[in-house]
Amino acid sequence: MTPVKKPPEAYLFSVYGVPIRYLAELPLLATPVNELLRHFRRDSIDESDALTMCFRAVQRRTDIPLTLSSSAHRVFSGTGSAVEGRRGTGLPCEVIQDGSCLIADFHHVGVLVMDGMKGRAEGYLIQPETLPANLIEYVFHLALIELLRHRGLYTIHASALEKHGRGILIPAYSGCGKTTSFIALLRSGYRYLSDDHPLIRDVGTHVEVLPFPIKIHVTDATIAFFPELLHAPHHILQSGSPKRSFHAEDLYPTSVGDCCRPTVMLFPHVIDAPHSQIELLPKSVALQSLLPKALLVYDPEVARREFQVLAKLVQQVASYRLSFGRNILDLPKLITPLLEQKAC
Amino acid sequence: MSDPLQVTSRQAVSDRTTDRRILDRVILRHSHNVQGAGMEGETVLLDVSTSRYYTLNRMGSVIWEYCTGQHTVSDIHGFLCDRFEVAPEQALDDLVVLINQLVEEGLLVVEGG
Repeated sequence: MTPVKKPPEAYLFSVYGVPIRYLAELPLLATPVNELLRHFRRDSIDESDALTMCFRAVQRRTDIPLTLSSSAHRVFSGTGSAVEGRRGTGLPCEVIQDGSCLIADFHHVGVLVMDGMKGRAEGYLIQPETLPANLIEYVFHLALIELLRHRGLYTIHASALEKHGRGILIPAYSGCGKTTSFIALLRSGYRYLSDDHPLIRDVGTHVEVLPFPIKIHVTDATIAFFPELLHAPHHILQSGSPKRSFHAEDLYPTSVGDCCRPTVMLFPHVIDAPHSQIELLPKSVALQSLLPKALLVYDPEVARREFQVLAKLVQQVASYRLSFGRNILDLPKLITPLLEQKAC
Repeated sequence: MSDPLQVTSRQAVSDRTTDRRILDRVILRHSHNVQGAGMEGETVLLDVSTSRYYTLNRMGSVIWEYCTGQHTVSDIHGFLCDRFEVAPEQALDDLVVLINQLVEEGLLVVEGG
């Protein structure tokens, strides 16, 4: 007798006006997503306009109901290693386009099928009980980013903070000083928008940056700079590999910032020098530096719109190369005048 | 363009052409796959079919601006000589090299010629 399967549990969210209905077969598929989107939970949403995302558990790869048409073609293939400035994910992946569907094949981990036009994503994870929670969160976040792009919400790999209604973006990969810069500003009173994945949106007169608060992941090297992190209790600064993590609001009196207009963009790199320096960047260089951290071309028409939004963002901000020296705690004194200057 | 590229036989205009009749016939327009953004006199181009992006300097941006399917290579040469303090022969050399590079990369399409 075939056991009756319990229907998936539904979780409701709204991300800046985009309603999302997430269906999870198992609690372990729900917990990482509820953590990722904890600021966006809702009791009810407009289901007629909702993105629908459903994650299922399977035992074997052959249990995944996936068939490709003869017109399917591969658009991306990666080993998960860092390549040409893009960060490494550690997760080998192939992306296939089949009509309006994008299929991300993570091999032994599972498959993600995304239809941006229909606003649907289906995830099939192989034995998810064996997968780390952050991997489930990562796969879900990929699907969410792709669906949100079709609704005019784009993500960039950057830290984002706000002070007095003005936003600052720090696009960079791991090892460039992004999170260290971020914490240095956060502890001086800047408000937190996101450590890794702020959202941006064109509102007509300008591009605005929207908070996407997630846990802040820090290396031991970063922790060493800040006494409050060095002495933080274990329940606040949680263990993880390769990084430890914490929620900003647990350690700093700051609150999550508001949607705002970014006015400054910093591209950091670490130098072996006592003092940090900044250098104004030409806008064409800033856009070129931003593109690898933001734009992935799968759907050409979506990519066109996203490129225009990124170009508009670069036009409205002042961009700087930040050569990050050893005087980390003095960073706010260097950066805050830039925000105030741009606002004048 | 910031990176020099090898010119192949797929050229809009031969690098050694000074024949006015050819320059007066060749018309270029942007590929439908390209999205451009002007930035302080320079231009960043994204080819959505390859995900590659390129930057054109000021002169390259002016050349790109006029490749709308309305002007011949001769016309564009004239615009360059009007806008920049450059010897006509040098302007022609730079123009021909760039348009051939852009055609080779699939960013410009040749009409006529």
